[in-house]
Amino acid sequence: MGNHSIRTALIAAALACARLATPAADAADKDAVNPPPSAQDWHALSLLPDWSGVWTPVISDQVAQEKSNRPPWNAKIAKQIDHMYAEEAAGRPFPIIDHCFPTGMPSWMLITHNAFEVLFTPGRVTLLGEGDGNRLRRIYTDGRAHPADPDPSFHGHSIGHWEKDTLVVDTTALLPQAYLAVNEAVGVPNNGDMHIVERLHLQGPDTLADDLTITADKVLTKPWSTTRKYYRQRAQKFDIVEGVCEQGTYTDAVDKNGNAIFAPVKFHNGVPVGSDTK
Amino acid sequence: MKRALLMLAALAALAAASAPVWAHHSFAMFEPTKTLTFKGTVKTFQWTNPHVIVWVLVQPDGGGAAQEWSLETTSPGVLTRAGWTRQSLKAGDKVSVVLSPLRDGSHGGSLNSVTLLDTGQKLVPSFGKEQPGLK
Repeated sequence: MGNHSIRTALIAAALACARLATPAADAADKDAVNPPPSAQDWHALSLLPDWSGVWTPVISDQVAQEKSNRPPWNAKIAKQIDHMYAEEAAGRPFPIIDHCFPTGMPSWMLITHNAFEVLFTPGRVTLLGEGDGNRLRRIYTDGRAHPADPDPSFHGHSIGHWEKDTLVVDTTALLPQAYLAVNEAVGVPNNGDMHIVERLHLQGPDTLADDLTITADKVLTKPWSTTRKYYRQRAQKFDIVEGVCEQGTYTDAVDKNGNAIFAPVKFHNGVPVGSDTK
Repeated sequence: MKRALLMLAALAALAAASAPVWAHHSFAMFEPTKTLTFKGTVKTFQWTNPHVIVWVLVQPDGGGAAQEWSLETTSPGVLTRAGWTRQSLKAGDKVSVVLSPLRDGSHGGSLNSVTLLDTGQKLVPSFGKEQPGLK
């Protein structure tokens, strides 16, 4: 408990420094190091809740929440969203997750059909997702602040701390292009300045809940809170397999020299309609 | 002439680069209310993320060259939870497939089920059961 309080205080102090974005804070960023973990750091991991295994999303709940808990879209965005639902119904889905870009945050947690796993190492919680090799979240739990001028990314910059058995994650520095999506064909880019706070915790012995509060002032009229649930799997046949999205645009073939190669797939309106293999 | 060929090659490269390639996409471009059933031979069972593709060669009723159909379904991880494996289908397997075709009439569809004609085994893609501790 004492450690939690100290860590929380440290994070608050660090956050205050980051908000000032003074030259001193910049200097601190440049000089910061990742120290070698101590035996105590490794021991501390054993006191954390057990989040081992593979977590599969509760997709039926995602679908139910599309109707029961709609994001408070602003008027301009709401029109786009209505249009996207109409397009989806007409068989012209908007390709939110195309081109093998990472699904990104918060859409990964909101709409994924794929599993993920959670790794605890000293100073870090790491989420590794199935389906796309770039589906990876690094959450720093070493008490650092967000950098003064972070590089924007699909998954943003995440810092976390433990409040009892709940991991509280603060994510910023998201690309404006990162989608806030409610399904694979309905959603919009956050357009900048999105901020996500998550509270990840076990809701039962084998259910992980992620309570998200998403602030995205360019597209929402107020912060939106929602929860996503994931079920734990322990059978080894569900271990996460390699996912290289670009492999989906190629198929197995043999070239004229007898070498195993990937041959490009022909696409029409976004879906494969033939391969170049003979 | 050489310059013209280079220009053609450059244009072709540009066209290839700008062609829409959506490796990962929603399934709404398929017509869920329509189903087609036909028999064919598996050309390739593409067990890859983000979408598994069953490539099937189909002999048209009126004769002529076999048509290649791409039947897409969900990801290896999701199919594994529904009981499939990378070995579920292999090239040369004679199959009967049920699919929801592309709305634009191209030779592609969303796979509803595939039955191995030799054994009668029917494989159905799904998200699997939603519960913890699946066996």
